[in-house]
Amino acid sequence: MLLDLHTHSIKSDDGRAKVENYCQWIKSKNLPIDGFVLTEHRQFDFESDYSPLAEKFGLVILKGAEVETEYGHVLVFGVTEGLYKEFDFADIKNPLEMVLEMSNKHGAQAVPCHPGRPKVGMFAHTENLGVPKGVEIVEIYNGGSRDNEDQIAIDNAEKLGYKGTGGSDSHIVSHIGRCATRFPHDIATIDDLVAALKAGDFEAVNFKHAD
Amino acid sequence: MAKEKLSDVEFGEELSAFEPDTTLATGAEFADLVGWIREDGAKNRFNSHEAAKKEGLPGAFIPGILSQGYLVSMIHQWAPPAEIKKVDTVFRSPVIADVKHSITGVVTDIDEDEGLVEIDLTVVNDKGETRIFGTASVRLPQ
Repeated sequence: MLLDLHTHSIKSDDGRAKVENYCQWIKSKNLPIDGFVLTEHRQFDFESDYSPLAEKFGLVILKGAEVETEYGHVLVFGVTEGLYKEFDFADIKNPLEMVLEMSNKHGAQAVPCHPGRPKVGMFAHTENLGVPKGVEIVEIYNGGSRDNEDQIAIDNAEKLGYKGTGGSDSHIVSHIGRCATRFPHDIATIDDLVAALKAGDFEAVNFKHAD
Repeated sequence: MAKEKLSDVEFGEELSAFEPDTTLATGAEFADLVGWIREDGAKNRFNSHEAAKKEGLPGAFIPGILSQGYLVSMIHQWAPPAEIKKVDTVFRSPVIADVKHSITGVVTDIDEDEGLVEIDLTVVNDKGETRIFGTASVRLPQ
């Protein structure tokens, strides 16, 4: 099963895609992904129920978040009300180690994203701040990466023994599915996704040059 | 074939690729037109690669509003009667002058009741890296 683990909708300040249009796009273009995770910036969307869309289009639609830390941006999968109360999702300077610790405490999984990117990627800060404790997974393929950002992510992840995920980081409809993460088993719920991530049972996939 | 009315448009269809003029001369001329070049012609980020590099930038920029103009031009080439309701852009990285860029557009929503078409727009450089993305909402005759 292939899931795009990093997407944004109009719920994000810089997102321009409606979720239904993502679904239409995936189906009309026969993209190989089976679903996606909405990781809105600096928030978690408790209200929206995408299950009717998921059923209509035969896709898995899950929700996560993209929060910000002193090491850059971090995806959080498995957000609960308890986790949401632990720190301010809107804060742009959350301590990464705290985000990782609180995520684990509440059964969630935090994944630093586009870590090879200047300023907002983790590996841009490890020289000055040191390698943070508690990181197990980083995003190694990001659909919005420029230059050698993905390669920096891959090289550092290998050096530090991190597993790697993939996600498009799409903000407009036609960018979804550029990168994804392959799981050997079906993922139907956010709990399934977190369990598969914690088990390390996945691999990142890059479709960026398959257009 | 140019689109004349809403029923000519299909979900997922691609607009013809568009190659904007990103030469330094054109960018500088535009910057001058909109008052971003001083009267004495002093070098800055819009008319000089060297001046831009002194500011720590990778090279001279194409002004963002010129890039938006190219997006509009592309849409009108595709659908001459289109009334552009909104062009909503996110500038991820600068469009560097004298680097070849291309613009792609695809139809991602059709609202038949309102006569509106939504188009995804992406400006990429010669390495295929996204510099600008956004959406346009356009009205076409029914």
